[in-house]
Formats: sequence, C-alpha cells, structure tokens
Amino acid sequence: MNAYAISAPQAPGRVHLVDIRRKALLLAQLRVLLIGAVFLALAAAALLRIAYLGVVQPAPSQRSMADALLPPRGEITDRNGVPLARAFPAYALWFNPTAMDDGGPPLVQSAKTVAHRLREIFPDLDEAEIARKLASGKSGYLRRRILPEDANKVMALGELALELPRETDRHYPQGSMAAHVLGYVDEDGKGHVGMESALNDQLLDPARRGTPVALSIDARVQGALEDELRRGMLSVNAVGAAGIVLDVDTGEVLALASLPEFDPNKVDKDSQKYIFNKVTNQVYELGSTFKPLAVAAAIDAGTVTDLSRRYSAAPIHIGGFTIKDSHPLGATLNVPETLIHSSNIVTAHIVDDLGAARLKQVMADLGFNERPYIELPARGFPIWASGEWPRLRAMTVGYGHGIAVTPLHLATAYAAMVNGGIWRPATLHKIEPGQANRGRRVFKASTSARMNQLLRMIALYGTGRKADAPGFRVGGKTGSAEKPGAGGYNRTSLVSTFAAAFPMDKPRYVVISMMDEPKGTVASSFQRTAAYTAAPVIARLVPRIGPILGVMPDDSRDIDLTDLKPLIGSEE
Amino acid sequence: MKLAVLPEPLAGIPWRVILPLVILVCFGATVLHSAAGGSFHPFATSHLVRFGVFLTMALIIRLMPRELVVMAAYPAYVGVLLLLILVELLGAIGGGSQRWLDLGFIVLQPSEFMKPVIVLTLATFYGALPPGMTGSWRALLPAGVLVGLPMGLVLLQPDLGTALAIGFGAGVLLFLAGLPWKWFAGAGAAALVIAPIAYFFALHDYQRARVTTFLDPESDPLGTGYHITQSKIAIGSGGITGKGFGEGSQSHLNYLPEPHTDFVFATMAEEWGLVGGLLVLLIFGVILRWGLTVARNAPDRFSQLLAGGMTATIFFYVAINLLMVMGLAPVVGIPLPFMSHGGSSMLTNMICIGTLMMIDRWSQRSRSTSFN
Repeated sequence: MNAYAISAPQAPGRVHLVDIRRKALLLAQLRVLLIGAVFLALAAAALLRIAYLGVVQPAPSQRSMADALLPPRGEITDRNGVPLARAFPAYALWFNPTAMDDGGPPLVQSAKTVAHRLREIFPDLDEAEIARKLASGKSGYLRRRILPEDANKVMALGELALELPRETDRHYPQGSMAAHVLGYVDEDGKGHVGMESALNDQLLDPARRGTPVALSIDARVQGALEDELRRGMLSVNAVGAAGIVLDVDTGEVLALASLPEFDPNKVDKDSQKYIFNKVTNQVYELGSTFKPLAVAAAIDAGTVTDLSRRYSAAPIHIGGFTIKDSHPLGATLNVPETLIHSSNIVTAHIVDDLGAARLKQVMADLGFNERPYIELPARGFPIWASGEWPRLRAMTVGYGHGIAVTPLHLATAYAAMVNGGIWRPATLHKIEPGQANRGRRVFKASTSARMNQLLRMIALYGTGRKADAPGFRVGGKTGSAEKPGAGGYNRTSLVSTFAAAFPMDKPRYVVISMMDEPKGTVASSFQRTAAYTAAPVIARLVPRIGPILGVMPDDSRDIDLTDLKPLIGSEE
Repeated sequence: MKLAVLPEPLAGIPWRVILPLVILVCFGATVLHSAAGGSFHPFATSHLVRFGVFLTMALIIRLMPRELVVMAAYPAYVGVLLLLILVELLGAIGGGSQRWLDLGFIVLQPSEFMKPVIVLTLATFYGALPPGMTGSWRALLPAGVLVGLPMGLVLLQPDLGTALAIGFGAGVLLFLAGLPWKWFAGAGAAALVIAPIAYFFALHDYQRARVTTFLDPESDPLGTGYHITQSKIAIGSGGITGKGFGEGSQSHLNYLPEPHTDFVFATMAEEWGLVGGLLVLLIFGVILRWGLTVARNAPDRFSQLLAGGMTATIFFYVAINLLMVMGLAPVVGIPLPFMSHGGSSMLTNMICIGTLMMIDRWSQRSRSTSFN
C-alpha cells in the first residue's frame, strides 16, 4: 500500500520495513488519540465555563426602567400634597484631572487662574486652597453643593476637568418643621427617627416610591402648633414643649411637635439631643387632666348619677398619706364644681365609689397599659401598676398621679371621651373618608355627651378659662404635675398640660399643649401652673387652626349647658 | 455506514455527519432569525441557502479520486500562494491593507482557502516522505518553508487569527506525521521566549490591547473590554434554560457586538441557556469525533494526515471562537463554524467536511475491495 516506503532507497529488508510500518501506524494512532484528548479537554473547559457563567457568576444587577427614572427615595407630603421631604437633584463641583485624556495638563488655563475665576462665581471660596487642589492633580470635590445657575457659570469656564455630577439629596423644604414626624436620612440612605424610618422600605421600593406618601399631617396646622408652642415655651422659660392636634373621629394626627426641635436637613451632634420625641416617647404624670377621665368612668359605670350630689372636700387621710387640694375649695363640692376647681379630694371620693377594678379597666381600655399606637419607631411605655390596684393607687390615678403616660396617650383618650365614646389608635397616615379604624367603645354616647358639657364648663367658668377662644367653643382641662425626681416629687419643676377639644357642640379635634418645667415669668403672672402656661397656647392656637380645619368661629352656637349651669352657683 | 432502506447511491453518503450538521445549521439559522429581530432577512435565509450550496459542493468533493487530489495538491498550493501575493500587491498599489480579492462575480479571501490547502499540501508531502525519514531535518525544512510562506503573507495583511489558524492546522499535521517529540518541545520553548518579544515589538496596538484586555477585561469595561464583558453577561444571563427564543435583550438592544457573526454563541446562550450551549457542544463533539474516526480508519498515511488536519482546522475555529466568547481567549475575529453568518468560514469548513467525506469513501472502498 505505501508505495513510497517500498521504493525508498536503501531498504534494509522486508522484516525491518514491516517493523517500521507497524511502528509508524502505532505512533500515528497514538497521536490521533492524543489530539482527541486535547479536543476533549478543551470541550470540558468550555462546558465548565458555560456552567460557571450561567449558574455561578452573579447575574448583572437588574435595573428596571422605574429604577432609572424615579428618584432614589420616595417623597413624603402632608395630607394636602405639600411636600415635606423630597428628592432634591443637586450639582456638585468635582475636579477630574484625567478628563482631557490627551496626556497634557489637566487644565487649559493655569490652576491659579481657574481658582480665581471660580472665586468670582463663589465669593466665599478659599482661592489658595482651590488652586492647591487643582495643582495637585488629584481628583476630588471642590464643592459639595452648587446651584444650577452657578453650575452654568462653571460650565462656561470651558474647563473639561471641572465636572458637575448630579447628585440627589434628601431635602426638607419646610426646614425643621415636623422634624420629629419626618426624621432624617443618613449618608447611607437609611431613614431614622420619624416616618423616614417607619416607611424606609416603602420609600425605597421601586414599585411604590413613584407615588408620594401622604401623611395625616397638615403643614399649616403643624406650622401654627410649632409657632404657638415655641412662643409659649419662650415666654415661660420652659426647657421644652410638646403638642399634638388629633382628629377625634379618625385618629389622624394633624400636627405633632416636640420642642426644641432639630433640622433634618442638617443633623449633627448638637441636634442628637433634640431628636427625642416628647409626644410619643416621654411618659409624664399628667396630673389633673386625668380627672375628667375618672369622672367619665364613674358616670359610665353609674356610680355618679346625680351631678348635683355634694361630696366632702375635707382632706382624706389614707394609709399614712394625705390627699389634699392646692387651696381650700369649700366644705363640699358637686361634680361640675370638682372639675371646674380641679379638686383632688372629691375626685378621690368619686373614684372610691367607682372602685379600683373598674377604674383600672377603663384606663386599660383607653390604652394606658401599652405603648401608644402610632407609626413612629420611638414610643414610650407607660408607668402602669400591674396587679390589683389598692384604694390609694386608684384615688391617685384618678387625679393623674401614680401613672405616667405619653401626651399622645392622653390625646387619644380625650378623643374617645369627646367623640361619642369610641377609642381609636392614632395614625400618621392620611385616611380616606370612610376608611377610619372602627375602634372600640370605651364610654357610652350619653357619657360622652355629658363630658362635653363638663369640659366646656371648665373652659367657661373654671381653671381652663385662659384656654377659651371666642367663638370656637373650646373645652378642656388643666393639669400641673410635679416631676418625679430623686427621693420623691420635685416641688420646683412642673409639667403643665392642657388637654382641649373643640368645638364642644360637635367635637372635631383634640389639642394637647404641654410645657416642660415652665418658670414663673411676667407673661404667666409669675405662675407655673397649666392655667397660666399651657392654656394660653390653646387660646391662641385654636383661632389659627380652626378655620383651616373647617371650624368657623360662631358666637351663636355652643353646647347646651342649661341643665348644669345652676349647679355651679354664681361665684367666680 | 449502510442503511438498508436507502438506495445504493444514497446509502453511501455519511448521514451520521450530515444529520448533526443540518441540525446545527438549522439551530444557527434560528439564532440568526432572532438576531435579526425575528426575521429571516438578512441572515437566516442566506445562511440556509449557503449551506445548501456548500453541502452540494462537499458532496461533489466527496466523489474525487485519490490520485486527482494528490496530483492537484501542489498546484493548488502554488495557486493560492499566488493569490495571496496578488492580494498583497493590490493592497500595496491601492494603498492600505487588503484581504479580499474582488473578481467581479465573487469576492475571494485567499487566506481562507489557505487553511485547507496547507493541510492538503503537507499531507501530500508527508505521505510521500519515507517513514524512516520523519526524524531527519529533511522532514522539517521543506514543511517549514511550505507553512512559513503563507503564514508570513497572511501576517502581512495583517490577519493574526487566520495566520494562527494556518499554523495550528500545520502544527497538528506535523504532530500526526510523527515528528519527534523533542522538536515540539523545542518549538514550545522557543514560543515561550518569542511570545513576550512579539508582544512588545510585533503586535499592533489594537492586538496588544486585546491581549491585556483578555487578561483583565474589567480594566476597561466600556472600551477594549466591552465585547467580552457584554458577551459574558449575555451567556451568564441565559442561566440554565435561557430567556427564551427571541427574548435576548443583549443582542436585540445592541449591547452584544456582532451578534450574528463572531458572538453568535453568546446570542444563542442568552436565549437558550446552558441547555442550548450543551446541544451545540454535543453536535460539534459528534462532528469532530467523526472526523477523528475517519482519520483513524484512513487507508493510508496521506489520507490519515489529511483527515486529521481537516478535523484540526474545524476544531481550531470552534475552540478559539468558544474560548473567545466565554472570555477564556483574547478577542480574535474567528467565527463559529456552521452557526455564524458568513460565507468564507462556511466555505472553508464545508471544504473540510467534504474532504473528510471523501476520505471516508476511500476507506470504505479499500475495505470493501480488500474483503472482496
């Protein structure tokens, strides 16, 4: 077969030839096998590679259209669509020495000239430092935030190395307003403190962040509340103030303020100490503001049927403790007089008739035994005595001592008392009409109606007179409690609260104003009690927010008090 | 390979390679249909038509007698070499490099022809060489000249990929011809020394960039590393079962460069996933295994070498292309046989297939004559 091999010169013989042929054939077959093995190895490598690329290699991150076009964090608005927190596209001034990419110097002009011309745009610029940065040839920020018109001017300099990257900032256009409700966003884009924290996931979710989140807050009411609280706080030298405006029928919080506040646009070390939310996180003994709740419980249980019944106003000695009033109020008092003059003694008698168990039950129904219901992450746990309450405990709770709750607790409890008896959790989400929480009944509607009369009478004839605003039919109760300190109550530091509702003929809103450690000043006639510190805030605030909320001043309307008016005599 | 149900002339045709080929080409046409945005025009139709034409050509090659092939080997080599020189001259006159020869009715790329022709020439040379002389310098020097001339001309074009393909085909042939191991070891050592020198002095800037990019594609993902990064994303995003026919976003949104030619495998893998990749590899495995079987069963040294060299040429296309799109080899413009859209590579590969079928026929004939 191999003709060439046979005809090869110097053939050494047939046996040798066969040997060579066999060897050659063997060699060739071996080498074909070797080549085949190389093929196989490469095929295996390719296979492993596909499997690696397809299964192991992390998939390229999916960027949906929404992701690319939507702001990186959703907006927060108030109930009317006023922006409270928004994504703010801003420009930065960045020096990129490699932008020219031609091997030459990074700048067309000299670093000094460019620095000088930048200073013409930004007068506060440190020219020497910028010149040094430009000359160093290292990339970096020259300015963190610049205005669009300044960005145009920088562009006009014609320096490619001066880049203007767009960055998105979280911006709170209302400044420090509603700071505790909103919270803030840190550098890593994580929300803290307020709704920024509570809604963090929703605000970042590409599917949902396109629609702004509407809060229950009304920016106008919030502004008025903060303004009046600040004025009140400054005029009485208080260390802090807190306030809330609550819709009694839905539980929506229309305004919530804790002073002093912080600026969410600029959160630094100083503002950290103001981040604590006094409305939802701090528990106080709220004092006499509890008396209407105790009376309502007694009326509801039927232990008070006759409001004209007179109770002894002599101090009560019980278990080595004396319950007395701040000043003598006379020998006997009926129920309306008790509330009007804020008598601890008579409230204790009424609670004693009601019984500790029933009072405790009502307090628990009002949510005083758990953290307040609200979306904010910071919610304080009340000081709540567990187990069976002894007589003395029940009596002190009746006038707001031996129990400590947050101002938000008080607001929701008052809302239940005036709205016909239904307790609802407070919420910071805007609630569409008809979507309000069904709530739970705590008081009978008749009890609620009676309480509305009594609250109105306090504001007309009693300690709450300074809270009344002409035409707005305000009702409410003062409360001044000594702050618990080391070794008992601190006589000099008070927490003065006024819990109000308006208009009392058809209550729509509960307003709480609270002063933390007010001092006696000229503005408060050198008094520290709620009537002189917290109540005037209500009187100024209600006329400001009433018309906004659809409550017009009207002298021809008021709740009917004709059946109770004769009970309080004509004194004062 | 005889099927009783078929008439005699058809039964002789090696169906076991034509069938996988048809499947592969049809699958390729499917991918090209998708790459064209769900249309047979402009890729898929011409792909199928070309395959039909070249398959006929391959079946005609199959019928050639051995004597004619041996006789035509050297003239063919000289002819293609002249064409290469002509291309070079035309390029020099026209100014600028040129790879194509426009004959008016057809555009020829002589360097493509050189791939099978160099295999044929060397096979003829070693077929005629007495086995006892394979270890002497006389076995290497003429072969070296035969390979060196076309490689040099192609490098001048410059077309590194084709030059390497010619070199690879020739190298496998030398290996199969039984040249001593130490020569290959020596050549390997020399390559190790020359490679860095060539990298710094002989390669063009763009070729150097391809090598550095291959070693670290992430260094410049939007520039020179773009192709390979996008290709890997395409293959990777296919996962196991792929995104589905016509759903590949990498190719449709033009992220993937050359989705219908060099990167057709990435286009396929995105839509068909690991399963499609396995199918393609399997078919290539069947075809290449058939080629090696033909080489092993070849009746004589010449046909054995020829078959081995042709198989190696096809293998070189497949291997380099797959390694390139998977990011295991630098980007060289080598298409995937039978799947990429392009006439020249289809022609070369069908010549290889035709030659293999021809050798298969020879061995069947010699077997049947020896048994009769």
